[in-house]
Amino acid sequence: MNRWFPVSACGEVAPNSVAHTQLLGQELVLWRAASGMLNAWENRCPHRGVRLSLGNCIGEELRCQYHAWRFATGSGQCTHIPSHPGQKPASTMRPMVFPVFEDGAFAWVNLTPDAAMPVSAAEGPGLNLRSIFTVAAVATVRQLLLQGYAERAVNLVDEFTLEGAAGPPLGIRFMLQPVTQGQTIVHARLRGAIDAAQRLPLLRTHNARMTAVRDRAEALSAC
Amino acid sequence: MIMSNPVNDSPPVESVLWDDWHPVAELAPLQRTGILHTMLFGVPLTVTLAADGAVAVSRHGAGLPDRRLEHVDCRYGLIWASLGTPTRDIIDFPETRESDRIVCTGGSVGVAVSGLRAVENFLDLGHLAFVHAGYLGEEPYTEICTYKVEPLPEGGILATGCRVYQPRPSPMDSQGFDVDYVYAVRRPYIVALLKANPVEKERMDMIALLAQPVTEERCVAHVLMAYPPHNVDSASLRWFQQLIFGQDRPILENQIPKRLPLDPRAEISIRADNSSAHYRRWLASIGVRYGAVPIGAS
Repeated sequence: MNRWFPVSACGEVAPNSVAHTQLLGQELVLWRAASGMLNAWENRCPHRGVRLSLGNCIGEELRCQYHAWRFATGSGQCTHIPSHPGQKPASTMRPMVFPVFEDGAFAWVNLTPDAAMPVSAAEGPGLNLRSIFTVAAVATVRQLLLQGYAERAVNLVDEFTLEGAAGPPLGIRFMLQPVTQGQTIVHARLRGAIDAAQRLPLLRTHNARMTAVRDRAEALSAC
Repeated sequence: MIMSNPVNDSPPVESVLWDDWHPVAELAPLQRTGILHTMLFGVPLTVTLAADGAVAVSRHGAGLPDRRLEHVDCRYGLIWASLGTPTRDIIDFPETRESDRIVCTGGSVGVAVSGLRAVENFLDLGHLAFVHAGYLGEEPYTEICTYKVEPLPEGGILATGCRVYQPRPSPMDSQGFDVDYVYAVRRPYIVALLKANPVEKERMDMIALLAQPVTEERCVAHVLMAYPPHNVDSASLRWFQQLIFGQDRPILENQIPKRLPLDPRAEISIRADNSSAHYRRWLASIGVRYGAVPIGAS
């Protein structure tokens, strides 16, 4: 599916760190090089299949935990094989690399390898809420959110995006990450100018609401 | 995978595996409990030890009455069983017959991966400096020199001339040295390693990994050791093996897919993987499918 999905809040994967997520059943390693470049690769070393999310970020390279092969940020090209340190790794030695885009608030991944970068504007001021993992299909979560959020109407922007008001002048946008068929991560962001003093109370309030959304979605999925 | 067929009870697994002997339990824990429940090729088994020392293994099938297995034996401190009709004896480890050696098992550990992946990891030299850093290898001694792999006349593969620097090759060694390794795979799920003994240059320490195929994607890794009797005792051998295997286990359980791919294009191999490449080729040539991704299946 040639489509961009949110996979993480931008600040969540810091430079020199490695994380794991899943999109439409595809396991991904998300890692950010020391210089700040974010990578989304198939979570599997092309050598012996070990999850790359077990590995470490070393500067501009990700190092596999099994044989310490190193893969370069951006291209995924293997740069070093310690078993044969004098040899230049072949160009085929790289994991599958997926395009990544950051809009200032979230990191987006497209599973189509040669997808063109989106030409959307950078995200304006706002506040990312805690992303919620739920054992419920995208359709269930969508249906639930369309019934309203905090007693305000929510509208469909597209299949995976919903928007509503969150106490004027703030708006709220929900972005659904299909993890597997029956699992969804709900990313959400309050949009508008928010005072520093307001951030923590807002996060608390919405965290309780989002948790309730998750519980209802899972209850609906269970029956 | 086709499971045991309850109607005609025909072998659900290729004969090369079904009709062979496999370890199903370690004797020592059975001596404490008298009964153990396990699985072989997805078939639930109960292993019992009577007061007179008699071992019995019963299989439980889908809607079938429980049945005692005909082919059960106890050897090397392990209980062995066959679900089919063995055409050859339990694998021989000649080192265990040398009377002065310390012979012991190393513990049995369940691992959520195909036993074939566990055997391949045991054969692997390139990971020693990283996964077992400080024990079986260490940086910067990461280079794997060319070694020889040849077929064994009775089936299987033999890797010789493997040499790696090890800071602590065994629980007895306080200093590192270059260790010579020989690997022999004589059964699809069993591999033996012979490594240079620091005291007796003519004899080698023997460590075997015996993977019990619980299901296609799950195994119990049994370990058997036979060491020349120099400053060793079975407790420290067991401790060391469990330490080492504890380092391998999280790697094994994070391999995708859990079955071993036999198609050489499925995973990239390098010169250091010569034994792994031969192992996969041999498995394909004798028709092993259980626990593997056969060529053309993916």
